[in-house]
Amino acid sequence: MLKAIKPKMSTVVALLFIPVVWYVFSVFVPLITALFYSFYEWKGGPSKTFTGFANYSKLIHDATFWQSVGHNLFIVVVCIIGQVGIAFILVLMVQSRLAKCKGIHRTFGFFPSTISAVYIGLIWTMIFDYKRGILNYILRATGHGDTVKVWLNEPSKVLAFVSIPLVWQFIGYYMVILFAAIAAVDKEIFEVAELDGASAFQRAVHIVLPLIKPMILVCLTLCVSGNMKVFDHIYTMTEGGPGTASMVMALYGYKVSFEQSNMGYGSAISVGIFIISLVVIQGSRALVNYLMKDKGVE
Amino acid sequence: MAAVQTKVKSGRTPAQRFGTGVLAVVINLILWIFSLSCIYPLVWMFYSSLKKKRQFNADIIGLPTEPTFSNYIKVLTNKDYHLGSSMVNSVRTTVLSVLLILVFGFIVGYILARVQFKFNRALYAIFLMGLLIPVHSLLVPIYVVFNKAGMANQWYTLIIPYVAFGLPIAIFLIEGFIRSIPIELEEAAAIDGSTFLHTMTTIILPVSRPILTTVAIIQSFSCWNEFSFALVLCSRNQKLQTVPLAMTNFKGQFASDYPKIMAGMLITMLPIVVLYFAFSKKIIEGMVAGAVKG
Repeated sequence: MLKAIKPKMSTVVALLFIPVVWYVFSVFVPLITALFYSFYEWKGGPSKTFTGFANYSKLIHDATFWQSVGHNLFIVVVCIIGQVGIAFILVLMVQSRLAKCKGIHRTFGFFPSTISAVYIGLIWTMIFDYKRGILNYILRATGHGDTVKVWLNEPSKVLAFVSIPLVWQFIGYYMVILFAAIAAVDKEIFEVAELDGASAFQRAVHIVLPLIKPMILVCLTLCVSGNMKVFDHIYTMTEGGPGTASMVMALYGYKVSFEQSNMGYGSAISVGIFIISLVVIQGSRALVNYLMKDKGVE
Repeated sequence: MAAVQTKVKSGRTPAQRFGTGVLAVVINLILWIFSLSCIYPLVWMFYSSLKKKRQFNADIIGLPTEPTFSNYIKVLTNKDYHLGSSMVNSVRTTVLSVLLILVFGFIVGYILARVQFKFNRALYAIFLMGLLIPVHSLLVPIYVVFNKAGMANQWYTLIIPYVAFGLPIAIFLIEGFIRSIPIELEEAAAIDGSTFLHTMTTIILPVSRPILTTVAIIQSFSCWNEFSFALVLCSRNQKLQTVPLAMTNFKGQFASDYPKIMAGMLITMLPIVVLYFAFSKKIIEGMVAGAVKG
């Protein structure tokens, strides 16, 4: 701490005042507001009636809400396997001395993660399109014309299809993180292992993986918190449909609040989203920290 | 590196060398398929946007036979599409938000790192809580608050949540960085008679440039790309739409005219694409550093 110059307390307060008020107003005031209105039957108009915990008991029995929670968790799992898993395999290839043009792969691969989710959603809507989509074009061109379908219109598979753009968008992102982790490892370790006759697969599993485990765990937490809040992609591609087959939590809260203008229940859903996201994200972080400590003991 | 390679190679049989050759081809092929898949949609959108709707529907993959900029002209000249105004809105919102995040983040970060007062750690904890709070749960309540306060659908509306949501990570990064600056720097300045504010703005601010650049990069992209809060807070007034919001409406208007949608997307993507390819190394480093440390 700075001892030599001690600013006047009034200066410090003056400097901190606006940022703190600004921040509290946009983060904590809405949270408290949500809590307040979640106890009311309120359609957004001037009149509201206090209903106690009615909204919450409705929430607990709301099949669509829990379906959305399940969809969020499904997307999280798919993205952990897809984003972090594929990124790990690709990074192993990039870091081998056989790979060329590493800089280009890095620049191109990272590009989708800098684009707005809305654009990613629009691009993939075009790819999945029935008449003018690239996917069906390729299927027809390769003689699989019988398998073409309206991809985003299949209730049982739509969730898997909307996960593809999510996975695709962020592979490059995790590649860069993991690549940095591998680059920090002493190169001699790999050379020695290779001279000792370890196969590429053995090197990947027994040497690379343990060495960059901390960074993989960081990627997992990023992946969980990133996908619990997924909204933009799905809004752009399917708006949660067909029916509620691709509904996610944030989108459900939005639909109930703005399309059915049921703001009271929407507030209760917001509180529910807050609690569930916090538990899942912090739970996964705690698990990751526990696993990392475990590694330190070894 | 070359020496190592020849040493390893010379100890191998021709069969092994052939195996390595095949492996090299496979590895590079997979990597190229991946990175081209990341860039191809951009290329595809570009040359398809030069086609007329009829030509695109007849052949979605092929290059345009008679390239035309008519889609661009139509999209840019028709005021009803709000493309120009959405660009202006996005630029204004992003620039002001990032500037305010830098100013607030630096002031708060510096005070938290260097000034001892009773609530220092408590205030730090409150700001860091912002990293834990699932922001998407604020979507509905923030609309309620802004609507009651008459602050929804104004030109400044989006700057408020963007600055507030950007502050926690900015403060976290800046505070940590300033802590790593040797305190002797400020003590020496104090002996020379520099005041608190003078030291902060003329000595620490220039030293903090690297971390401020990182924060600016992360926040520029997240403000420019943000969609859900713009949807909730600013969709009543078409003139206030940001770029992502305008594009979702665009899709609704031209559901069947893909070349036109693509032209609109490419125009509104241009700032990001140019910035990215000009400074890709710096941008990648900044975004990843922010994510990993947070």
